[in-house]
Amino acid sequence: MNPVLTMDSATLSPIHLFLQADWVVKGVMIGLLLASIWTWALIVAFWRRIGKTRKGMTRFERDFWKAEDIDVFYKAEGESELPSARVFAAGVTEWRRSTAGGTIDKSGTRERLATTMGAAVAGEIDKLSDRLNVLATVGSVAPFVGLFGTVWGIMRSFTSIAAAQNTSLAVVAPGIAEALFATAIGLFAAIPAVIAYNRFSHGINRIEASLNRFADGFHTTLSRQLDGSR
Amino acid sequence: MDRSEKIGLGVALVGHVVLFGLLSVGFLDAPEPPKIQQQPIDVSLVPDVALEATAPQSTEAPAQSIAPDEGAPEDAAPPAPQEAEPEPKPDPVPPAPQPKPAPPKPAPKPQPAPEPAPKPQPKPKPAPPKPAAKPAPVAKPVVKPQPKPTKAPPTKSAPAKAAPAKAAPTKSAAKPSAAPAKTSATSGKTASASSAKPAKPSATKGSGSTAEAKTSRPRGSRLGDNFLKGLSADPSPSKSEAPKAAKLGAQAAANIGSAILRQVQPCANRQVTPGPGAERIRVTINLKLNRDGTLKSRPTISGHAGVDDDNRRYVDRVDDLAIATFVGCSPLRGLPDDLYDVQNGWSNFSLRYKLPG
Repeated sequence: MNPVLTMDSATLSPIHLFLQADWVVKGVMIGLLLASIWTWALIVAFWRRIGKTRKGMTRFERDFWKAEDIDVFYKAEGESELPSARVFAAGVTEWRRSTAGGTIDKSGTRERLATTMGAAVAGEIDKLSDRLNVLATVGSVAPFVGLFGTVWGIMRSFTSIAAAQNTSLAVVAPGIAEALFATAIGLFAAIPAVIAYNRFSHGINRIEASLNRFADGFHTTLSRQLDGSR
Repeated sequence: MDRSEKIGLGVALVGHVVLFGLLSVGFLDAPEPPKIQQQPIDVSLVPDVALEATAPQSTEAPAQSIAPDEGAPEDAAPPAPQEAEPEPKPDPVPPAPQPKPAPPKPAPKPQPAPEPAPKPQPKPKPAPPKPAAKPAPVAKPVVKPQPKPTKAPPTKSAPAKAAPAKAAPTKSAAKPSAAPAKTSATSGKTASASSAKPAKPSATKGSGSTAEAKTSRPRGSRLGDNFLKGLSADPSPSKSEAPKAAKLGAQAAANIGSAILRQVQPCANRQVTPGPGAERIRVTINLKLNRDGTLKSRPTISGHAGVDDDNRRYVDRVDDLAIATFVGCSPLRGLPDDLYDVQNGWSNFSLRYKLPG
């Protein structure tokens, strides 16, 4: 491969296309490039975060159902950052508060437990899905931004045609190529963003479902405990 | 921004830099288009434009009409009278002769046909003998060759004859009161015809004189009975010794035009089209050339074609480019010398030119 930067107009050099573009198109290109970088940063971050979360949740739930004593388990795992652990901690905390007094309102305790753990699940999902909206926004808007840059660049090409009074391809082609490059960058940012958004929202839905299952199971356990303790 | 986002940002930045770096060094460039192999083609250029006669070859002279040779021409004058006497006499002679034998003599008339009056003589003689008998039967006063007969007797040949014609009228008037004009006309005609061509007599149908004339006339000329058919007796008048004038025909002009355009093509290729549609303008350019192919004067534009609203503004520019093209490649070589100063030759040559493209 030729290690020298090819700067002639006949190549697909992004730097060359960028340098000869109009400033509006340059702005569009820079914005779209930043959006693309941010999109990929989020993709990588979500990938890691969701993967870690699901692995941790699986391990946590397995450990939880194996645990003999909830208090002991709580001491060991209660400080974990895992969503399951947070939900578990919220349930344990509420259980301790509700059973601290002399008389125990069983149905009230059950309701409070359900509400608390539901709120914990919602909070965790909220935290997980933070910035997923960025992916959605980039995925839907980037093509239009790129299209704007293209339209602007082509308009500029036409005005240059009118100014030069020459329609030869050599006059028109560079302007159109640089204009189309804006759309290319827009699509380059938008396509991964859309794919990632769908994939990650699906992953977060599954995490939410499994959290709810875990919360329900824990609630059932506590509820049985409530009856049994009496 | 938590740790995983920082990692993600770092990865994304590195990835973009790597990707754009690869694109910048031509990693995804379109492959070079394969070089098109130009197969050589044998082209033979006709070097010279030949002079071609564009007129048809000289036409054959029309066929002559030649009467069968009936014998060598002979002078009819002297013998005729004697011979004629017996036969011809019948109708024509009688009427005229008698009345005017002597009187008409005065042959002062202009008519003087060179002819040796063949008719006059015959008539005169016959006249005296038969006149009396035939006059009545013959209806024609016109026919009267009276004048002739009259003359014949007294004098003799041509001069005398002419006179009779003139005289005739007077006599006729006096005698039978026939139409004088007519008589004169007839007689005149005969006279002139005979004068023009000795052989003519046979053709004339006027009076009984024909018959007699025939017998006594010389024959064997080149004229047949139908000599009036528009054919001339002159020997092949269409053959001309003068060479046919050379003329630059349309085909030769086209050859020269394309030869010139071929030679200015390099200069034409250097011209930049001023704008879209300019190549549709065809200018008619007029070249005044010296015999050696140089320009005698600056070419002039004599017309345009293909001008429309789109390219109207380029007309002046195209004119300049066309002139520059011909000036730039001006010594034109290899034009046929023999077609230089002929009619429509290339000393002053107009051709159509348009910008390439």
